[in-house]
This record gives sequence, structure tokens and C-alpha cells, in this order.
Amino acid sequence: MITEALQQVLNGLAIGSVYTLIAVGLTIVFGILGIAHFAHGSAAMSGGYLTFILTERLGLGFFPAMAVALIAGAALGVVLERLAYRPVRDAPQINAFIIALGLTMILEGGNLLLFGPDQVVIPTPYQHVYTVGGLVVAELRIQVMLTASLAVAAMATFVSRTRAGRSIRAVAQNRQAAVLMGVNADAVATMVFALSSALGVIGGALVGALLAIAPGVGEGLVVKGFAVLILGGLGSIPGAIVGGLVLGVSEALAAGFISSAYKDVIAFLVMIGVLLVRPEGLLGKR
Amino acid sequence: MLTVRELRAGYGNVDVLHGISFDVRPAECVALVGANGAGKSTALRCVCGLVRARAGSIEFEGARIDHVPGHRIVRRGITMCPEGRQVFADMSVLENLRMGGHMRRDRDQRRDLEALFDMFPALRPRARQRAGTLSGGEQEMLAIARALMSRPKLCIFDEPSLGLAPKIVDEVERTLARIKANGTTVLLVEQNASMALRLADRAYVLEAGNIVLEGSGQELQTHPEVSKAYLGY
Repeated sequence: MITEALQQVLNGLAIGSVYTLIAVGLTIVFGILGIAHFAHGSAAMSGGYLTFILTERLGLGFFPAMAVALIAGAALGVVLERLAYRPVRDAPQINAFIIALGLTMILEGGNLLLFGPDQVVIPTPYQHVYTVGGLVVAELRIQVMLTASLAVAAMATFVSRTRAGRSIRAVAQNRQAAVLMGVNADAVATMVFALSSALGVIGGALVGALLAIAPGVGEGLVVKGFAVLILGGLGSIPGAIVGGLVLGVSEALAAGFISSAYKDVIAFLVMIGVLLVRPEGLLGKR
Repeated sequence: MLTVRELRAGYGNVDVLHGISFDVRPAECVALVGANGAGKSTALRCVCGLVRARAGSIEFEGARIDHVPGHRIVRRGITMCPEGRQVFADMSVLENLRMGGHMRRDRDQRRDLEALFDMFPALRPRARQRAGTLSGGEQEMLAIARALMSRPKLCIFDEPSLGLAPKIVDEVERTLARIKANGTTVLLVEQNASMALRLADRAYVLEAGNIVLEGSGQELQTHPEVSKAYLGY
């Protein structure tokens, strides 16, 4: 029983770390720019497909392929911000919301055209399975957790320790004062989208390796990402980390002990329960 | 140094400034005084590129700056200490000061930080503290120090005494006098007209988006209309 629970927690942490990656990308865009970027999941999936093509067709290793996809993802983020979101920046928020929904359809359609309707799994060499004290530990899950942790840590370090990161925080806290200090708020918006999409692409590639990529997976993932965002506290990076892991673990426990058909229901029940007690989210500000 | 001519600006369909002209000469302290809504802050925001001029011109050191975007103004040597302090609440005091020097690439920043901590000794023990936890007076000092970190040629102050206790207002006044004495050119907007006119070499009185009076600080302090309308005696 205990072993079984630990096993599910472990499995949950792996998928939870992917939710965290997606949610961190969403939370920086929402917290700094105030945009609910619904197309994030579909952008992440484009990166997942690209990683698949690079490994399967061009024979690149998993991590080199992901690195290429990450750069492409950052470039996609720049394009999305410049062409789609910047024109409506000073318009009422509903406009950016509609843009986000439209972008989701465009990206999903683009993915379908470019990569086809088939479900794909990104091949990785990490097929080893370890057994530690009755626990089954798949090498791939370890790789997924390590990669996600590294990506989030790199992003957090960039934001908290570098000059560019400080200018991002300045815009998030007080846009007008940041401009007075000489910060180019437009460049910050572009940088935030590049960062967010790069993280999303890593998330997409990890989903593709851990589970599978298919049309519609991105939309499901973005809904989970927003659930995590609300669970952890809007705009909070630590909240997105904790929220993602909580969602992943509660899903896995639900699948293991109740029914895998109900795992989403139970995960969202946990979320509703948390919000009843803490409406601002786990780590949000009151 | 700063030459503003026939400046018109506003928000939406409403014009706030109806063609005002004023000058700031090197090493001078110039004040804009007037009632709430007269357009003082809008004039400053135009100079800093936060609001676009609809007509007229703004020249700084001989070059037009009315179409320069806000984030490039500070590189020309103009910094504003904004109304309501606007410190970065979740950053430490030290990080706020570093933000003030955001555009600087030189190696003297550490020395300037030291000098500013000497000038505002209350900030030094709080260097690692979140700016949002400082008192209003301390935040004002931080906002002033942050503005000075960019080594401005022209330092603009928008309502620096607003919402502060009288004792702190005196401290702000002494601080501005020191900044002026150090040779920095100052453009000041204040509702506290008596303080502004004491500090100012010259002042302009704004009423409903027009400049109605101009003179030296002393002249305006004793001007019957000004003292009746803004000084309360």
C-alpha cells in the first residue's frame, strides 16, 4: 500500500514537472504582461513535433533535438508577441483574449498541416528501468524531472540574477517607473514571450517523450496549465512549481487508487478544494 | 537647456495643455505651480516621453526630443522622480538604486551608490530590505536617490512632498536644495507652492492648461494673486 502510494507519487511528480513547465511559461506571461496566453499549449506542441521530426527523421539525439526546438520555440514566441499580441496591447483585455483563442486555432491547424494527424511518441534512449526497494523507477521519468527542474531553475536564475531579468521584474512591478529608468518595455514583452515559449517547447518535447503528441493534446495541456496557475496563485513562479507538482501527484494517486478514467475529475476536485480554502491560490498574494 | 514651445497635449478627446512655453536653463531650478488638474504633471510627462505632444516642440540641449520614446529619454540625461514615489516594491533598496543606473555601463556605479547612501543615511541599513516595506518618507528618499543614480543633467520632480508628514516635507526640501547646490538642473512640480517658490530660481504658474504668470521665485512669492490663490495668505 505504502509502496504503491510512493510509486504513484513518483509517477505524478514526473508528469507534474511537465505541468510546472507549461504553467511557469503561462504565469510569467500573465504576471508580467497580463495576457492569458491560451495558445501556449499549442505552441508547446509545435516544439514537441519539431523535436520528433529532428530525432526520428534527422537522427539527432533527444537533447540536441530539444535544444534546436527550444531556439525555434523562442523565435516563435517573439513572432507571436510582435505580430499577434503587441497590436492589441493598449486595447481592452478582451481583444488579447480573442487573439489568444484565434492563435490557438491557427497553431493547431498549422501543426495538423505540417505534422499530420497521427499520434507520435518521441523516441529516447532512456529505456532503462530501475527497481529500488520495490519502487519501479523509469530512467525516462528521471530524465524528464531533471530536465524540467533544470529549465525552471535556469529561468528563475535569469530573472533574479541578471540585468535583463531585473528589467523584466521592474516592468512587472511598475511599468511606468521602469520606462523612466530606461527600460524598453516592448523589448521586455518580447523577451518574456521568448522565455515562455522556450519553456513551453521543452514541456512539449517532454510530453512527447513521456506520453505522446497528437492533435488536441496542446489544448488539454493549456487547460491544465491554467488550472495550475490558479491553484498556485496567479503570476507566482513558486506557485506554478508547487501547483504543477500537486496537480500531477493528485492525478497519479487518483489514477492508481480510484480509476484512471476519473483522474482529471479528481485532480480538478483537489483544485476546487484548495481554492475554497485559499481563494488566492497556494502561494498567491492576498 | 530645456526649451518647450507651444506644447499641446492631452488624453483621449480632452486637451490638457493648450500651448504652453517654458524654459529651463543650465543649473537653474524651475518650478511649475498651479492647482490640481492645471496640467503640471502632463507637461512633465511630455518631457519624459510618457505622453506624446500633440503640437509644439520640446528641445533638450539643442535637439528635439518630443518624438523620442520614453525609455530613451533617460539616456539624453533627463530623469524623473515620479509622483507617488513609484519604487519597485518587491525589489530591495539596493536593486531599486541599481535600476536607477540601469542604462549606465561605467564602473563608477559602486562609488555613486556609496555617495547616495551617505546622502541618505536612513537607506544604508535597509539596503537589503524590500522597498515596499519602507515608510513613505523613506520611499521618497529612495525614489530621489534612484533618480540621481542615472547622473541626470536635468532632474525632474513630480510632487515630491505629496502625502508626506510635515517633518519629512522639510527633509525633502533640504534634499532638493542640496541637489540644486550640487549643480544639477531641477524642474519641479509642486502643489506645495510655498516650498516650490522658496526653492525655485524661476517659476511658472499654470491655470487650466495655460501659463498665466512667470517670474522669479521671490517675485511670485510676494505676488498678490499668487499668494492669495496658492499660498493661502
